[in-house]
Amino acid sequence: MNAGMMNATIAKLALQALLGRRRFYLLLAFPVLLIGLVVLITALTDGDAAYGVLPNLGFPLVLPLVAILAASSVLGPEVDDGSIVYLLSKPVNRYGVAISKWVVALAATLVAGALPILVAALITGDSTRAVALFVAAAVAGTAYSALFLAISAVTRHAVIASLMFVLIWEGLLGNLFSGIAWLSIGQWGLRIGHAISDELPDPASLPYAVVASLVVTVVGVWFAGDRLRSFSLRGEA
Amino acid sequence: MPDLSAPGPGRSGVIHDLGYRHFDGVREGSGAIARTLFTTGLRHAYGLGRSGKSKVMPFLLLAMSLLPATIVVGVVVLTGLADLPVSYADYTNQTQLLVSLFAAAQAPVLFSRDLRHRSIVLYLARPLSSHVFALVRWLSLTVAILLFTAIPTTVLYAGAMLAGLDKSDQTTDLLKALVLQVLLAMLVAGVSGLISSISLRRGFAVVGSVMALIVLTGIVTVVQNIAWYEADSETVPVAVGLLSPWSLVNGLANSWDAGVDTVVPVDGAWVPAYAIIAVLLVAGCLLGLVARFQKVGSR
Repeated sequence: MNAGMMNATIAKLALQALLGRRRFYLLLAFPVLLIGLVVLITALTDGDAAYGVLPNLGFPLVLPLVAILAASSVLGPEVDDGSIVYLLSKPVNRYGVAISKWVVALAATLVAGALPILVAALITGDSTRAVALFVAAAVAGTAYSALFLAISAVTRHAVIASLMFVLIWEGLLGNLFSGIAWLSIGQWGLRIGHAISDELPDPASLPYAVVASLVVTVVGVWFAGDRLRSFSLRGEA
Repeated sequence: MPDLSAPGPGRSGVIHDLGYRHFDGVREGSGAIARTLFTTGLRHAYGLGRSGKSKVMPFLLLAMSLLPATIVVGVVVLTGLADLPVSYADYTNQTQLLVSLFAAAQAPVLFSRDLRHRSIVLYLARPLSSHVFALVRWLSLTVAILLFTAIPTTVLYAGAMLAGLDKSDQTTDLLKALVLQVLLAMLVAGVSGLISSISLRRGFAVVGSVMALIVLTGIVTVVQNIAWYEADSETVPVAVGLLSPWSLVNGLANSWDAGVDTVVPVDGAWVPAYAIIAVLLVAGCLLGLVARFQKVGSR
């Protein structure tokens, strides 16, 4: 990715779209919920019970939800109400638009999704495991935000489509069929985290997980830019 | 000069006679408006009467929740099992992700669009009050969600009948499941509708509903399991179950012997507590909806 493609103004506008008014509180709710729950359970039980929250709730649910919220709100509302044409009528490279928006979504995902997972994991003890989970969350969050940005550029139903990918494909079907780990962003992240701490599961091969995460990220952002390049306005019925 | 708006004696019609063409048909009252609004809302929840693309999501989700039922029916019919491997009430519970997603995806269709595009003022210009409008919208979504849960269970029941399972047992179980589904639909429609009427951007409404329906239920399940297996507490898991719509309905299903397992059995004084909280939650959501539409309507 070329840093010269970043457009500071577009990034600033995307940040405002993300954090404006009440939306900020919805985004804030996720880390507060996660850390609050872990603190509560750590205080009330002995042993390693609180850690169970992270692989069961924090990593597979909170992290992708934050990524969906971030990616869809930097692009979604503009596509939704059609005001994206004013942005696209400016002489700015469309890939630059996509990259600028993706960087903002990525930053939000890391701050409100991956960082709370690190904090919560540190509260449960075992700092190696915490760092491993953070790396897993950062890798998965990066790929998630690029994929969801690409989905946002394609359809008005981006949030539901992204949710179906996370909840039904990765969650429901991923639990039934272990082979889905090869096509699951969350599992790739966990595999990379497994290289740091053996406490994380080992669902796929490491080189594959690294390459697949990288490909999804690059192709996702490129595809979002490509969709913006050939964007056409359609009415809603 | 034609009389512009005077309805006949004792009538409150709102078809204005502008002098171009008379209307001699039946003038129906608010009841007819409410009925039409209900039917249109129900159709729109499934994308009927809207663009082709709007039909994809609801019917895709419905097909996904029907698929396991048809597989179960096939297995039961072919292998001659003596009982369904999953109870009717538990089938709805097992597919709760799809039900929640359906509610989260379709609630904004009924509750956000009119407010976002301000077409609500056109509705409220008719004799229907904002209270009735909010309640009718909620009823549309409730029936839509009820259909979403009842169709797969009906398929299961039809399969059980074809396979020759005991008719009275199956019918009792089905009726129990249907009663629970009505309660569930009222709860889920209330929660997702209220969230969608407050958060008008579709993305935020959907994520908000997902938090209230899916994330909250996930938290409740995790806390219940930890409290039971790690801390050996019986009170905490039952009490925490009061906090999410799904755990409320599942707790009631468990106490009613409808074939749903919960971490700790719900019995004794907890049963009325679950019922009361469920009813209060529905009432609270309805009050919230009415207040929200009244505020928007008076602007």
